[in-house]
Amino acid sequence: MTSTPQTASQRAASEDLADVDRVLAGEIAAFEGIVRRWQGPLVNMAWHYCRNRGRAEELAQEAFVRAWRGLANWRREGSFSTWLFALAANVFRSELKRFPTVDLRLDEAPEPAGPPTQYDALQQRSQHEALRRAVLALPASYREPVILFYFHEMDVSAAARTLGLPEGTVKARLSRARALLRSRFPHLENEHAAMTFAEMNPGKEA
Amino acid sequence: MNQPKSNAIETTNTEIDHILATEEPLLPTSGFLASVMERVREEATAPSPIPFPWKRALPGVVVVAGILGAGVFEIVRRGLPAVGEITLSVPQISLAAVRPLEQAGWVALALGASLVSWMLSKRLAGR
Repeated sequence: MTSTPQTASQRAASEDLADVDRVLAGEIAAFEGIVRRWQGPLVNMAWHYCRNRGRAEELAQEAFVRAWRGLANWRREGSFSTWLFALAANVFRSELKRFPTVDLRLDEAPEPAGPPTQYDALQQRSQHEALRRAVLALPASYREPVILFYFHEMDVSAAARTLGLPEGTVKARLSRARALLRSRFPHLENEHAAMTFAEMNPGKEA
Repeated sequence: MNQPKSNAIETTNTEIDHILATEEPLLPTSGFLASVMERVREEATAPSPIPFPWKRALPGVVVVAGILGAGVFEIVRRGLPAVGEITLSVPQISLAAVRPLEQAGWVALALGASLVSWMLSKRLAGR
């Protein structure tokens, strides 16, 4: 036996493929496997688009139903997850355009008065939440690259695939978005020197 | 999904990156899977949408197109001499000559509005 062990993503991809085939053969219950595997990522992705838990689940549910309807349209050129995320991004974008949850301008995004003290965890949390909500106040063309870049664990190419845009465009928009956020939150401009990215994310390459 | 972070752009370890990258993941509620599957089953058992009855509608479409064509023809037929009269002597246009033209215009407008509303409703129903 010389078979190499499958990684988690390879295993998920082959399970997706098998489930899609079963669904297309008429076995509705097989769609449950797809929902079970991708419910977490899709609800989280929707959360980043609206920052409202109930709405995030509604959006994710709508994305799954659209995926169900359009399953036969998946051309199997890329991975199932790429297709699903791209479809979900379209659903979230169009649904939130019709019924926006956050009507906030970047210059209206609340900025806490000063840097938090070492022990002021609550204030720090509120500062972090203010920044995350400010992402939703970015212009639409900058907002989505930011959401998807962090959703895809800071992978530009994955974000670009989901958006159907060239990587260079996504990088440029990310850069512009960061500049806008830095101008709104100038005290966050400093390098995060106390803790390197690798230390913060021990499982990820920096 | 994850690749080496050579493309993880310039400011990987700014405070902004740190804050945006380290948010606690949200777990779907316990009933989420069941509610999605319920909707999927509803979709699967729902009867397929009724297709537009083109065969039945065809005579109506032909009649409407005929009326529209006749209206345009009538406008052109009556309109051209009227235009000629206007250029010669404006005060000589009789009310009797203008009224059919005006009526034909209203008919054409109504038909146009009907066509637009039909196309709009078809598009909305198709979503």
